[in-house]
Amino acid sequence: MTARFDTLIRPSAGADYRAQSNHRKVGFALAFVGLMVLAVTLIANIVAANDSNSLSAVETLAWSFGLTTVGLGTIKLAISVILIGILVRLWLRIDAIKESLPGLKAETKSLTPRGDIDTPYGKATETADIPDQLPVHRMARTMWFPMVAMGYMLVIVGGFISLAWSSALSDGTHQAAQAWTAGVQFLGEGMLLAGISFLLGSILASLRSGGGEVQKGLGVPIQTLKMPITAKLFVGFMALGLMLSMAQFLLYIVAAGVDSSQSFASWLAWLGPLREFALGSLLTGIVLALVTIGNVLRFQFDMVTDFVRTGR
Amino acid sequence: MTTTKTRPDFDVEVSGKSLGYNKPQKMGNRMWAPMFIMAVMAFPVALILAFVRASTIADASSAADFEDAAQLGHYIAAFGFIGFLAVFSAISFAVARILGRFRKGGGDIQEATGSNVQTLKMPVTAKLFIASMAMGMMIIAGAVVLHFVAASNVGTWELESVERWARVLEGFRRFGVGLYLFGITLGLGTIIHVLRFQSIRVRQLPDVFAK
Repeated sequence: MTARFDTLIRPSAGADYRAQSNHRKVGFALAFVGLMVLAVTLIANIVAANDSNSLSAVETLAWSFGLTTVGLGTIKLAISVILIGILVRLWLRIDAIKESLPGLKAETKSLTPRGDIDTPYGKATETADIPDQLPVHRMARTMWFPMVAMGYMLVIVGGFISLAWSSALSDGTHQAAQAWTAGVQFLGEGMLLAGISFLLGSILASLRSGGGEVQKGLGVPIQTLKMPITAKLFVGFMALGLMLSMAQFLLYIVAAGVDSSQSFASWLAWLGPLREFALGSLLTGIVLALVTIGNVLRFQFDMVTDFVRTGR
Repeated sequence: MTTTKTRPDFDVEVSGKSLGYNKPQKMGNRMWAPMFIMAVMAFPVALILAFVRASTIADASSAADFEDAAQLGHYIAAFGFIGFLAVFSAISFAVARILGRFRKGGGDIQEATGSNVQTLKMPVTAKLFIASMAMGMMIIAGAVVLHFVAASNVGTWELESVERWARVLEGFRRFGVGLYLFGITLGLGTIIHVLRFQSIRVRQLPDVFAK
């Protein structure tokens, strides 16, 4: 299964490195569609706020809630498509460096690996062979696809439930549909962000193994950064966010069954911010993943520059 | 000395040395951490206020209790979206930082080979990335300020007006989030553009180096 998903994030045989990226075009188009959906729901909210008929106002707000989450989910799907495109391009660039660097590297005598070393970029290891993938990298390569696919499906399913919520408002039987809409859609949002996190983890895995392949091809000891604190925190925030997304889903199911409207309102009052806290945790993890990618890129660019200047 | 040269495939600047980071990338280097810290602080504040509000609603028996709940609702939205503003800004700055790494690193390698340094001019997607992020930030910041205004007027305004504000601001907040995400998509798409350029450029360097 992992091998099948891997074909999506590696360039196909004979891929042209000069060609424009289709992932980029599809990603931009999806993001634009998502933004337009959000423009529609913004107008819907303004109309509802000025609607003198309170029933039709809350009916509008119900489907607007569902559609807004679909719009936001569509842009997150677009981000996933773009990240897949980055992974494909990253491997094409690694191929280019492997091809070109031997012709750029200064002459040097052979070196022996030094084991654990300190670098200006943090602790690293120097080995003769390419180090194995870390368990978290293997997990990222396995999990990104199911998370993105299931996440977006849940967001869409929740959008349909919001229509049931809207139509049930007139007879006052909307409580369950309201709770299920939020629970299902925000579980989907959480899974989409987890999928994006796994794609970022896959980018870090590709940088690690690609960097190893480039150094191996040059016949020099392979320097690999040890997992930095930002990467460890990234995994922690992602796990926290995903667990809370699942917890909020279960708690919304409980809230759907409470018997008084006042009690239901009380449950919604803290479940909304809880689901936002869950998304906030996932997004915080994504910041740290991006920062880690930036740090690894600096390490690798400086290493290649040193190869050209000094041969080591 | 920097000259602008239009390759058939990319718009580039040609210089003798690596151009290093541009202004937005320098800002990305400096600003991701403060935004990250602000996000980490704001989300828990909103959650704690939400527990207080839930308890207020559960025990509400008078109009004053419902006013307290309405006021807290505006504060929760304000703090929650300070968190979202901060975290999406941190993500945007981190993406700009990555683009900076490519710009500086790519330039340094070309400089080391003794070649002229070709640096991509800021593509239109990168310009739209900055514009979209700025619009998202302004919309969310404006909504947050108006939430505080509405919260401070609970008791003076009718409860219906307070609710109306909440509905309108909710729409604007979500649209602001959409603009941030749209900008991040454009920023990440710019990375694909840069990777394509570097894949082509690095293959041209051995010929220059051999001379």
